[in-house]
Amino acid sequence: MPSSQPETKFRGDSQPSDMTRALVTVALAVYLLGLGLSILGNTRSGSSALVRTLQNRLFSPWLVPPWLDLGFDYRLTHGDDLDADYAIEVRRYGDATTSPIRLPGTLTGERAARWRRLARSMAVATDDSDRDGLLAAAIGRSMFDAAGGQDLVVQVIRTPLPLWGGPELEPVQASSARVRMVMGDLQLIRLEPPGEVAPLIKPAEAAR
Amino acid sequence: MTRQPENPTGAIAAVAAVWNQFWFTPADSRPLAIVRIAAAALALAIWWSYAADLQAWFGPAGVLPVDTVQQWRSAFGWSAFDWATTPLSLAILFGATGIVFLLLLVGLGTPLVAPLAAILLASLLHRGPMLAGPADDCLSVLLWCIVVAPAGEHFSVDRWLRDRAGKPAPSLSLRARIAQGLLQVHAAAITVAALLAQLQGEAWWDGLAAWYLAVGPQNRLGGLVPLFERSEYLTNLLTHGITGFQILYAVGLWCGPTQRLVARVALVAWPLVGLLAGEPLWGLLMAVFAVPLAVSSGPPAAQ
Repeated sequence: MPSSQPETKFRGDSQPSDMTRALVTVALAVYLLGLGLSILGNTRSGSSALVRTLQNRLFSPWLVPPWLDLGFDYRLTHGDDLDADYAIEVRRYGDATTSPIRLPGTLTGERAARWRRLARSMAVATDDSDRDGLLAAAIGRSMFDAAGGQDLVVQVIRTPLPLWGGPELEPVQASSARVRMVMGDLQLIRLEPPGEVAPLIKPAEAAR
Repeated sequence: MTRQPENPTGAIAAVAAVWNQFWFTPADSRPLAIVRIAAAALALAIWWSYAADLQAWFGPAGVLPVDTVQQWRSAFGWSAFDWATTPLSLAILFGATGIVFLLLLVGLGTPLVAPLAAILLASLLHRGPMLAGPADDCLSVLLWCIVVAPAGEHFSVDRWLRDRAGKPAPSLSLRARIAQGLLQVHAAAITVAALLAQLQGEAWWDGLAAWYLAVGPQNRLGGLVPLFERSEYLTNLLTHGITGFQILYAVGLWCGPTQRLVARVALVAWPLVGLLAGEPLWGLLMAVFAVPLAVSSGPPAAQ
């Protein structure tokens, strides 16, 4: 212990016993191991099965509840689709005349950022079988009153970032689902983005 | 010159000495009081960002019903907001969270309020994990570090009440040192993790990341876009400057002679990076991690 300030008044807890020191050391070592595994196990680029298993079984049960099971992989931007501008659009099914509800719309700041994260989560969830459609269904159901109907299309619109010195790029549909209430049951029908629908081939052309 | 340990036992003893010096040298708790005030102010800003859409997100007819979120989040996730099933109960719990952050800001009942603030923030985030961003993560870490620290011993109502009762302020504290150590470890860990994530993308190598940040949806520095369009070199310079700063920060935090300098640079640099990235709150929170090293007279560096 440094003795450069011998006159300084110490608190009661400033001179720990060996037992206290040992317990604090164990607690710190366990926490720091958990921190390291959380960072390794929560990166978007993936991690080994061993790290994931250790993290999930030993550390997640006590690091998740306090919101400490974090990867901190703040890439800020890679300039790719994941960094694009995401927005939610809700409109009545088959109604092309009424303006859709757009979120975040004209909102700004952290409030807008949260709506964008929600929209991006919806788009990314299409690759996750456990989560696909969950948010679209919930958002559709909550919008029945606001949209004025019980048969809606819930879309995520992605506007890609322009390349350096390039023009603004056109928005594209990242995900789309029809959400409707039929006899008290909520139904979700996945709609394919226009670019992913196969072109119609007439039987005569196919036979050639 | 440091004498090299001659055998394995000596090496273990040397590591133990560094560990003891880093974690168990009593420290001043005043820097942590500044961290408390800054973190609580930013917690209030984050809390406020939920206010306008609270019912639209978490209300009984909101876009994120409890059952949907429970299917989405980790099985270990837990939120007190799950029980707020009416607009009134939701508003009361949310209002109470704001009051707790306010109490943390002024430092009233800090030993009780600090863990409550951390628990309520985690609850709010678990209620809508898909809404959470980098600022929320860093705030959570900061609040838990404040729980460890005697953060209410200075610049607080608690201190004022103790002064009135004639109780003197302790100068140095072990808990303060542990909290400062945790802040330092997290500052480095977050920076390294972010840096590694960034360097997986081509934009950080070809020097165009600053362009993508400037044209990003959350960026408010639209004035930079014409500048970047005119000069690719400027775009490259800023991109590599951000990368260089993060490397220097993550390393410099652990070297005695550079520690305070990089921490002081970080107080300015992180908010600027956050502003450019469209994450101003995150930038400010990252700067808060550097406060103890920037203002203290010389905590022990792990070398």
